[in-house]
Amino acid sequence: MDLLNYLVIGFSVALQPMNLFYCFLGVLIGTLVGVLPGLGPVAAMSLLLPATFHTTPVASIIMMAGIYYGAMYGGSTTSILVNIPGEAASVMTCLDGYQMARQGRAGPALGISAFGSFIAGTVGIIGMMLISPPLVNFALKFGPPEYFSLMILGLMILTFLTSASMVRALMMAAFGLIVGCIGLDNISGLARFAFNIPELLDGVGLVPVVMGLFGISEVMLNIELKIKREVFTSEVKGLLPTLGDWRKSIWSITRGTVIGFFLGILPGGGAVIASFVSYAIEKKVSKHPEEFGKGAIEGVAAPEAANNAAAQGAFIPLLTLGIPSNVVMAMLLGALIIHGVTPGPLLLSDHPQLFWGVVASMYVGNAMLLALNLPLIGIWVQLLRVPYSILFPLIILFCLIGSYSINNSSMDVLIMLVFGVIGYLMKKLSLEAAPMVLAFVLGPMLETALRQSLIKSKGSFSIFFTRPISAVCLILAIALLIMPMLPWFRRPGAALEHEDVT
Amino acid sequence: MKRTFLISNLVWIGFAAIVCWGGLKLGFGSFHQPQAGFMPFLSGLVLGLLALVDLISGVINHWKGEKADKEIWADIHWGKLLLTLVMLFIYTVFFNTLGFIIATILLLFFLYRVMEPRPWWVVIIASFITTGLFYVGFKIGLDSQLPGGFLGF
Repeated sequence: MDLLNYLVIGFSVALQPMNLFYCFLGVLIGTLVGVLPGLGPVAAMSLLLPATFHTTPVASIIMMAGIYYGAMYGGSTTSILVNIPGEAASVMTCLDGYQMARQGRAGPALGISAFGSFIAGTVGIIGMMLISPPLVNFALKFGPPEYFSLMILGLMILTFLTSASMVRALMMAAFGLIVGCIGLDNISGLARFAFNIPELLDGVGLVPVVMGLFGISEVMLNIELKIKREVFTSEVKGLLPTLGDWRKSIWSITRGTVIGFFLGILPGGGAVIASFVSYAIEKKVSKHPEEFGKGAIEGVAAPEAANNAAAQGAFIPLLTLGIPSNVVMAMLLGALIIHGVTPGPLLLSDHPQLFWGVVASMYVGNAMLLALNLPLIGIWVQLLRVPYSILFPLIILFCLIGSYSINNSSMDVLIMLVFGVIGYLMKKLSLEAAPMVLAFVLGPMLETALRQSLIKSKGSFSIFFTRPISAVCLILAIALLIMPMLPWFRRPGAALEHEDVT
Repeated sequence: MKRTFLISNLVWIGFAAIVCWGGLKLGFGSFHQPQAGFMPFLSGLVLGLLALVDLISGVINHWKGEKADKEIWADIHWGKLLLTLVMLFIYTVFFNTLGFIIATILLLFFLYRVMEPRPWWVVIIASFITTGLFYVGFKIGLDSQLPGGFLGF
């Protein structure tokens, strides 16, 4: 009953004309950045963050959330039609989606991807509604040791799942922690690594770092690449999947939804990992695994459902624990803090309108996305025809203005360029940016929790192992660290590295 | 020998050493009273040790499974890449002095020409239109505080 009441509150917030407008804007921009290769949801969110300063926190978060799950929808279009994933979570959709397009079945591929995304997104929201309130009660028991251990576990899961080399992923996490140390020390107020530059006293901003690592570096890589794009535009017809397609896909969508949702909740998880894992599982349980990679509709339905369910699930740790589970959630954390809202266990009781308003807006946004993705597919396809030589100056300009307008500071632009070069070199050296960014965001929280715990325990590390929640998290983290050293064990990150994603 | 990975690991180790030294200078404190340098020192130490592990395992396995130096650095259009970067740094330096409109038009002249040669009149018109659209969208629409420069708007 309570849940229904809250939902009524949520819809009364989400259906306000202004919030409805921001929801529409969010999913529209999300679909757009999902469709356009080279511009992901993180860059789009960081770009639009300053634009939300004049709005209410609810409208701002509704729009940001819309960009994220909108990008999950839009990302499939380029994967299917061009064989270039619009964003990382759509990489697996390329494998069978593009093959379906080549066989003249682009329509059903796009259709099942949109319907699968809608079903998974909606189920994900219901799961989020059901899980969040009990998790909040659980989170109220958390003190600094629990927060520290949970953040360590999150970082460990991310490094365990995302990279071929766990050592290198951990290196990047350590690098992120170091970058997070720049600026005034939270406890003593001492300037750290600021080199007498006043702009660095507040630390390095998340937006310039993210835009550099994900936006500028991507442009730099694209400048040197010659991507040949073959767009299957003339064959996009019959978007509604047949009964046979549905029969093949429905269990894939169900499995993808469940896997995606729970991997999304996991700190360090997220849409990218969810889509990889669900594809691998789908191939394993299929009676015709040999058809995968040759245009199996299950290979489109499962990862698309998984990445959308994960996008919803990822909101749970942020809104209930105040811990971002991935880079996109880190951006949302930044947005909430800028608007004076502290995410965490008290968010639900202190700002119920924000929490339930955002949840309800996701229902509305999912319905909007279905309307945007199916009838407007022709427009999205036309966008793919924009040559990269025209697109890349626009991406650069968006990044430059986006990072400047946060603090009206050229130093932020300079920081973005420096991180653009760092990001480019990292990609060349197979070093992943995701663990670095997550550690950078979690760094200050992690440090405060560690120092508070040690002060409380008079310097004894046993505090992390004598408290049950903290102990469980740390034991799991240690297990994840040790597992790759076992000779018979093959990490999922290592396996994914060898998948044929071309 | 895959020189790229060797150099990369050595750079990370050097960087980690500098961070550790910086952390100690800030003051490590003690475990029961950690100071400002506590976290930087620990993070630097972890980074350095991991880079050392990566280096040693690379040397032992001869960086088996890694891309060859040629594979990483071949076919790069260095001129285009470096020129774009230099232009972006110059743009940043003169952004406030020249103002958004002038600086952006000049940057776009270059960026529209760098990817593929187009007629100058196309480049000029495209640069003006793009700058105008961005100005209207950000400065007027979103009220972004873009610098006016010597033009004053």
